[in-house]
Amino acid sequence: MFELTALNFTALLAFGVFIGLLGSALGVGGGIFMVPFLVLALGLPIHQAVAASLAAIVATSSAVAAVNVERGLANIRLGITLEVTTAVGSIAGALVAHKLPGGLLQLLFALMLFPVSVLMFLKGRKAAVHAALPAGGSKTAFDSAFFDPAAGAHTPYAVKNMAPASVVSFFAGSLSGLLGIGGGIVQVPVMNLLCGVPMKAAAATSNFIIGVSAAASAYVYFRKGLVPLELTAVIVAGVLGGSFLGIYVLYKVKSEKLQLVFSALTLVVAVKMLMRSF
Amino acid sequence: MFQEKDFAKLIQRTLLSGVFLSLLLLLAGLGLSLSGSPAGAPLLKAGLLALLLTPAARVGMLIYGYWRGGEYYFALASFVVLALLGVSLLV
Repeated sequence: MFELTALNFTALLAFGVFIGLLGSALGVGGGIFMVPFLVLALGLPIHQAVAASLAAIVATSSAVAAVNVERGLANIRLGITLEVTTAVGSIAGALVAHKLPGGLLQLLFALMLFPVSVLMFLKGRKAAVHAALPAGGSKTAFDSAFFDPAAGAHTPYAVKNMAPASVVSFFAGSLSGLLGIGGGIVQVPVMNLLCGVPMKAAAATSNFIIGVSAAASAYVYFRKGLVPLELTAVIVAGVLGGSFLGIYVLYKVKSEKLQLVFSALTLVVAVKMLMRSF
Repeated sequence: MFQEKDFAKLIQRTLLSGVFLSLLLLLAGLGLSLSGSPAGAPLLKAGLLALLLTPAARVGMLIYGYWRGGEYYFALASFVVLALLGVSLLV
């Protein structure tokens, strides 16, 4: 049974701030770190950890998206279109997760982290190579542009491959419901590599999307009474603090370097989760 | 005419309102809960619900904005997402 001691309170708050910073920098909800932290460090049952993580993802997404939409970084048309299949996947994932034993869920989580770690590493190393297609030729309603302070210029881009991206979004959504992650770890590379959206816009749009996918899954957990209230409140407070801090501090930082660090972190967490699931 | 900037502002305000309302309720609920008051748990639940309903409110605003702007395809996509969120509340 989890007890909210002064030490746990401080650890949760600090971890929430870290997750918020992560979310605003990389367009992910941070569930890939939050669930292992709650299970491994605090001994929370995995279903409750997933539920708390989903609530925190909604907080990160809402806070960061509010600013990214105003800055024109998030591509709302692209986001709402991908949200359709993502939401279907989220509901399906949450319903399946509730029927799975905790050990199997932990094993699935650990196995999912390995490809995520590789993907992050590759993205961090090759980010500059995967430059976006400039908008031109046949225009679509999804094409957009944003101001990149790192480049000091407006960056127009064309969006392609929407059909396969929608299919992959379904799987991103199902990961959200099943494992308590927002799915940003899948959405960002899909938008960047498959759709041709520049990294910053992909991260911002992903943040926009994951709020809906996490909320769709979180409703299922909330109705089943699986959300630990006090713990979630502390994490959400930390996450919101970290998100608002990150929005302003990390706006001009190149996210590629951070990805290499997070890739290594994910690998460590994956090994720990795998060892615990047996 | 409903401008893109007005639309972005509407979405931003909706999200921030939801976030701050939920934070207020969660912090009040947490304070009461830690002090042993029975009023803490309902406030925590209300705060959590406000947070979880924030993305749904944002999708509702997207329906309104795209409908007003005459972009019916995106209004329909937003409506489908809102309907799916409704389904997830019931299952």
